[in-house]
Amino acid sequence: MASSAEIARALLIAAREGPAVASCTVMGATDGVNAALGAKMLVYEGRNLGEIGGGPLEEAVAEFGRRAIPKHLVQTCAFTPDGQLVEGRRAIESADAIVEILVEVVEPASTLLVVGGGHVGLAVGQLGAMLGMEVVIIDDREDYANEERFPYEANVICGDFGEELEQFPITANTYIVLVSRGHKVDELALRTVAERGAGYVGMIGSKRRTRTVLQHLAEEGVDSEALDRVFTPIGLDIGAETPEEIAVSVLGEIILVRRGGGAQPMSEHGRLLAGKQR
Amino acid sequence: MPQDEVYEAMSSAFEQGAPVALATVAQTLGSTPRKTGAKMLVREDGSFVGTIGGGCGEAEVWQEAMDALDDGDARMVTVDLTEPVDGEDKICGGIMRIFVEKLEA
Repeated sequence: MASSAEIARALLIAAREGPAVASCTVMGATDGVNAALGAKMLVYEGRNLGEIGGGPLEEAVAEFGRRAIPKHLVQTCAFTPDGQLVEGRRAIESADAIVEILVEVVEPASTLLVVGGGHVGLAVGQLGAMLGMEVVIIDDREDYANEERFPYEANVICGDFGEELEQFPITANTYIVLVSRGHKVDELALRTVAERGAGYVGMIGSKRRTRTVLQHLAEEGVDSEALDRVFTPIGLDIGAETPEEIAVSVLGEIILVRRGGGAQPMSEHGRLLAGKQR
Repeated sequence: MPQDEVYEAMSSAFEQGAPVALATVAQTLGSTPRKTGAKMLVREDGSFVGTIGGGCGEAEVWQEAMDALDDGDARMVTVDLTEPVDGEDKICGGIMRIFVEKLEA
């Protein structure tokens, strides 16, 4: 049995350093259902810490938690006491017995690595900071890589692109945006980061230009599956023109990758409008 | 949303053997200032870390947290932000269900 202190320490480590954990808390139960309110179980890939009463419910919650981790989910879910997930408000209200579990994925803030400190990089970083990401900006020009240029929390690195990127730690929680001053730098940067398992790699540029870059790297022997995973041209198709609009388009794509979704207007009217603009 | 401040405050309270009350947004309906998972940790002296949404219902939840520290019972608190306060316009306009529990090492 894990103590509250152990659980608190584990959550702190998950939030600071990772790896991510799905924290599952019993928050409610229908009258008459035997459930320990406040019981907590931390679900990691491959092991659990703490328990929420054992049996099929605990097994089902652990399985649900494990699947929640890559989705960065934070959600209160309803289960029957024998471990069936109940979805939809009507089904939950009409069920005889429900146990409510808050499943929240606890993990360090994701890193937004922006390669290129120009107008687009500046706006992309600003929006990333607003979304709670740890922003890192890299440029080799001092005018574009100094703290004063970025009026938000960002780690600004001025140095050689190749060297800096080689040293930079990249994990599945790192989101990389290549928006440097030219395709030569983008190509160099992509060569350095493509095969290192980032959560997202996007590269700005026209279809023609980006295709040329991908072709060069393929010829050099960069893993073709890694190149297939590069989002280029970068961003969602929302007709973005200004650097700020491009930042919305890029961060929209990053949210899509993190959370999943249809990337369509929610409304019928919006979908019709988007169709017309194609 | 990183919650490491809350977890840090919880860990250090437990190291000193002090209990805390933790308020966590379990569910939101309509427009609410914070979303599911937002947390506020309340210590026995009434000081707190984190927020579940500024003025909107936070005082009420803080009081429930103090009560939970007292009686040890976990509870679900419903904060209805659709009621206009003293003739003012509704600012938030949603409903939050907040789980309040006492935790100790």
